[in-house]
Amino acid sequence: MLERHLQALHTDNPGDETPAAARERLKGRFPPGATRRMTTLGLLVGNALAELGPGPDDAIVYATGYAESRALEGFLDSFPTPSPTLFQTSIHPSAVQQLMIGRQAPVREFLPLSGGARFAFHALRAALLSPAPRVLLCGGEERGTWLLERGLASARTFAFAAALSRECAPGSLGRVRLSRAGGDGELGLESWFDLLDGRTPFDGLVAPGWRLEVVWR
Amino acid sequence: MAESAAPVKVAECGCITALGDAGATHAALLRGECALRPVPVLGRDGGQAVPLALLPGRSLDEAAPPDWLEAVRRLHAAIPGADWGSPGRPVFVTGSNFGVGGLYALRRTGDPAFAVWGAPAACTERLRALLGWGPDVSVISHACVSAHLGLLLATRAVAAGLAEDALVFSFDFLSPFVAGGFHALKILNSGFPSPYRLGNSGAIGLGDGAAFAVLSRERGAWTLAGQSVYNEMHQFTANRGDGSGFDRCLEGVAAAARGRRIWFKGHGTGTLDAGQLEVSAAGRAFPGAPVVGWKGSLGHTLGSCGLVELAIAIESVRAGRTPGTIGGTGPTMGASVATESFENGAYDGAVCASNAFGGAHAAFLLCHA
Repeated sequence: MLERHLQALHTDNPGDETPAAARERLKGRFPPGATRRMTTLGLLVGNALAELGPGPDDAIVYATGYAESRALEGFLDSFPTPSPTLFQTSIHPSAVQQLMIGRQAPVREFLPLSGGARFAFHALRAALLSPAPRVLLCGGEERGTWLLERGLASARTFAFAAALSRECAPGSLGRVRLSRAGGDGELGLESWFDLLDGRTPFDGLVAPGWRLEVVWR
Repeated sequence: MAESAAPVKVAECGCITALGDAGATHAALLRGECALRPVPVLGRDGGQAVPLALLPGRSLDEAAPPDWLEAVRRLHAAIPGADWGSPGRPVFVTGSNFGVGGLYALRRTGDPAFAVWGAPAACTERLRALLGWGPDVSVISHACVSAHLGLLLATRAVAAGLAEDALVFSFDFLSPFVAGGFHALKILNSGFPSPYRLGNSGAIGLGDGAAFAVLSRERGAWTLAGQSVYNEMHQFTANRGDGSGFDRCLEGVAAAARGRRIWFKGHGTGTLDAGQLEVSAAGRAFPGAPVVGWKGSLGHTLGSCGLVELAIAIESVRAGRTPGTIGGTGPTMGASVATESFENGAYDGAVCASNAFGGAHAAFLLCHA
């Protein structure tokens, strides 16, 4: 059995908000000028993560299936003279790096993951196996444009960050537990986000032989 | 902080590069062969000729289905055991490219056949079906330290008793997408890489590569001790100039290597600043250890380099001889840089290190179980 206590949580569920509106809404959350080159996913994930005050000894587990869809689209559109900025911004771990580089904030352990139908299990397993005292499990997606039309980007924009600790401190929001069980199940990233966003209890199979319990206080 | 010495062993490990499997690659490196060839950076769309090491017969231009699938199938056939991806036998797939080359082809041609392998999760899901894996397949993508993170997560799963064995599988195949990106950053250019050589300008080469490792609690002749990671978060494409990021990563490995005589397989892409910082940091952490880098021959196999080069390091220890640093001539960045191959029988460990965008560092100590 793997278990951690949910000590803090920030979710961002902006619906149909445009990238420009997201930038306007969140620009005050970052140093002046920092948001100019940030992506929508960088803004949302960065803001959620910043709420938890990431420190150098935290482990960051970052879950995103499609990552930087808009930067990727822009980079592909920039050929035959590809943009170096969009190339480096389009890499999978970029959203978290945008925040942390902006803050000049080193971190020991940073685990960027992708995934599909059982993404919640894979991200939680990575988080719950980390030896770090505090694990920041964050993630999200940004809505694509032409990549979305081809099924290669998310249809929805969202972000979350949760602080998971070994010890149950005052103010704990709840706990997450992975344990062995018979059967199979799935829980993708979007469903995991909805569960966090709604503070919804969960007890079910999320992978072959694995059961997830999320209990809120 | 480095991982404590978990009772996890490397039962099997293998790779493919432009020079062949691990044995053939090791033999070619000992002969000083260079797999890099000048190839137009955008394939059939032209552009400057840059040093790339493609698998024999493979084109830089993406095909649908990808022409690297056969190489992946071939490599996978060498992995012993079955039921990968079932409970107790998880798979950790790592890389930095997955099927992203298909997105470039999709944008250029509009052919939807190229979309099928385009996203990391979809690409891995198709691979899972193709290779007959069960559903427990994690996907890790942290640029050029991806494979190290796969090894770390697999080690933790086995050490915690969540898995009997774990498979780490990594692949990165070149395309105009990635070649064009590094060319735009100007570090991929017409020059051939000269890792750890002093010079006026740096240059990297890129290479196809795929590799696997089976980690087990019970079986295996090797262990990965002191697995260590560190993320500087200083700049996207540069390290802190004082080398502290290298030091912070290597200090954990140095603790695991205390009392051992080791050689150091560095990242060594051919960039000047990172090369100098790495050679200096290796000297501080492992005084007297010879430093080698093989990307001057194989090219940088990107997110898979940590696993590709682990397979070659194991082959080196098995064979009793470590290939020297390949590429360039002239003075090196330090006396520790080994430009010739050497007998390694007197050493009792090898440190393997990789770096990535964002000032990411990863390293481990390879030693006999």
